[in-house]
Amino acid sequence: MDLSLNTICLRTMINFSTRKLLLNRRWMMVVLVSVFVALIMGYVAIQQNTDPLEGGSFLLNTLVLTFLLPIMALIYGASMIRNDIDDRSITSIVTSPMDRRVGYLGYYLALVVVLSLMLLVIGVVGWASFYLIQGVEREAIDLLLAYSLLLVIGGVVYSSLFLVMGVVLRQPIYLGLLYAFVWEALVGSLPGAIGQLTIIHNLKVIGADLIHHGSIAETSGDPVTAALVLAGVTVLLIALGALAFKEKELP
Amino acid sequence: MSAPIVTARGISKWYGNVIGLNNFSIEIGKGVTGIVGPNGSGKSTFFKLLIGTIKANVGELKVMGQNPWGNPEQLRNIGFCPDYEYLPLDLSGQDFLRMMGGLHGLRGQILRERTAEVLRKVDMAGAAQRNMAGYSKGMKQRMKIAGSLIDNPQLLLLDEPLTGTDPMGRRELIDMVKALNREFGHDVIVSSHVLHEVERMTHDVALIYKGRAVASGSISEIRGLMSNHPHHIVLQGDGLVPLAKSLLDRPFTASVQLAYDRKLLTVEVLRPDEFFDAVPELIRETGCLLESMRSLDDDLESVFKYLAGW
Repeated sequence: MDLSLNTICLRTMINFSTRKLLLNRRWMMVVLVSVFVALIMGYVAIQQNTDPLEGGSFLLNTLVLTFLLPIMALIYGASMIRNDIDDRSITSIVTSPMDRRVGYLGYYLALVVVLSLMLLVIGVVGWASFYLIQGVEREAIDLLLAYSLLLVIGGVVYSSLFLVMGVVLRQPIYLGLLYAFVWEALVGSLPGAIGQLTIIHNLKVIGADLIHHGSIAETSGDPVTAALVLAGVTVLLIALGALAFKEKELP
Repeated sequence: MSAPIVTARGISKWYGNVIGLNNFSIEIGKGVTGIVGPNGSGKSTFFKLLIGTIKANVGELKVMGQNPWGNPEQLRNIGFCPDYEYLPLDLSGQDFLRMMGGLHGLRGQILRERTAEVLRKVDMAGAAQRNMAGYSKGMKQRMKIAGSLIDNPQLLLLDEPLTGTDPMGRRELIDMVKALNREFGHDVIVSSHVLHEVERMTHDVALIYKGRAVASGSISEIRGLMSNHPHHIVLQGDGLVPLAKSLLDRPFTASVQLAYDRKLLTVEVLRPDEFFDAVPELIRETGCLLESMRSLDDDLESVFKYLAGW
């Protein structure tokens, strides 16, 4: 493999794929979601009389981390390569001398960058609408930083999952929805060992080590193990996706 | 033919129950080669095999001596301009070429120089700063060709480059394809379902029909294959009745058809060469006044119909 060529190709891919994702009209959805989150968190902030750290953490956990993170990753990730295949813009990538596995990595990194950015925007908007009413303290900023870190880690893991779905499935959105709502949301909320087999559980285990307010702090587990599990799953899924993309025929 | 740049032996490619190419064999040499066939004949499938975006189910394919499937390094030497729209229309022509260059490992001064060079080659330097959404069909085709030229490939694959262009744009593209070979030394494989347009680009053609290579070679060689096929020849003039009678006595005549006004005679001849040799003698014998004579089967379209068995 020509390392110099593939490095330039990778940089080009990240550059143009990021631009394409950001200029996509889905940014309107991000604005709507941000407004939705801001309205809910702002409303709760006005109505609530309990501890602001408990309430803010609960909302960020429920709304952004548990609900929006997998949904946004699904919307952006599952359709990314699939859209390029369907509108045939993938032609420029698969007719370049770049190793296709590098091309897949380019897609993945662009997705992580854009998804993280979008989630951070939503998280910050929600956080600001809550704490600007409740009052900003040092611990509230720490809470924002901790959730931001969790969102980025979650973006890294979920992107690897939903991107590979877009390569191997013709209609990845259906299986993606099933996974997000049934496995992550439903099974993930079940008590016992089965609930631990979800990405969100492992994210919350890491979160429990960083955040000491709200329901997330009650999640039990070893954060190092959870981080290793997520890292392993991510690497495995990226490797699988890259291999599938390399071997994929594009008629 | 010079040393082949493409060799296909017994290639078959099917998509589920649909056959794209069926036991397809061909050798393509340097220069400009036209791939001609109706829609759905397998031209695009052949091109996709050449760039390695699909792989053959059976058979052997070599492009410049290498198997294209799973061989991205080879794409440095192959430029591909597809028949479909794939340009990112939100980019300017210049940005698109920068992207294509980056995807071919070019950067910095080399990328800038190559971008300027291909823009000159396709005569799009003046419109390069504009957003491609505002380009005409012909300009988009030129930009697609520019994208395929960015890494200065030896082999250019142009899939239906004339589709959807106006007559002026078509003529300019035809001239451009010829110039890409003659002036810049690219070997070009160009496909079309419009036969006379291919004929204007090259004399080397391969005819594809229903996933098979029906014939390949120079147009004159292919025409030579026709010598055993019947021709329809239309004669116009006066005194054609005795000529029709006389023709019926000749062994090379299959049938004659006289128009109502008796000024137009269509002759089906089994052996065209013998017919044309006999024409002066027939005119002398019958005393007819012949104004014009033309063959209905003297273009590439007819060659194709004969060879494909239409």
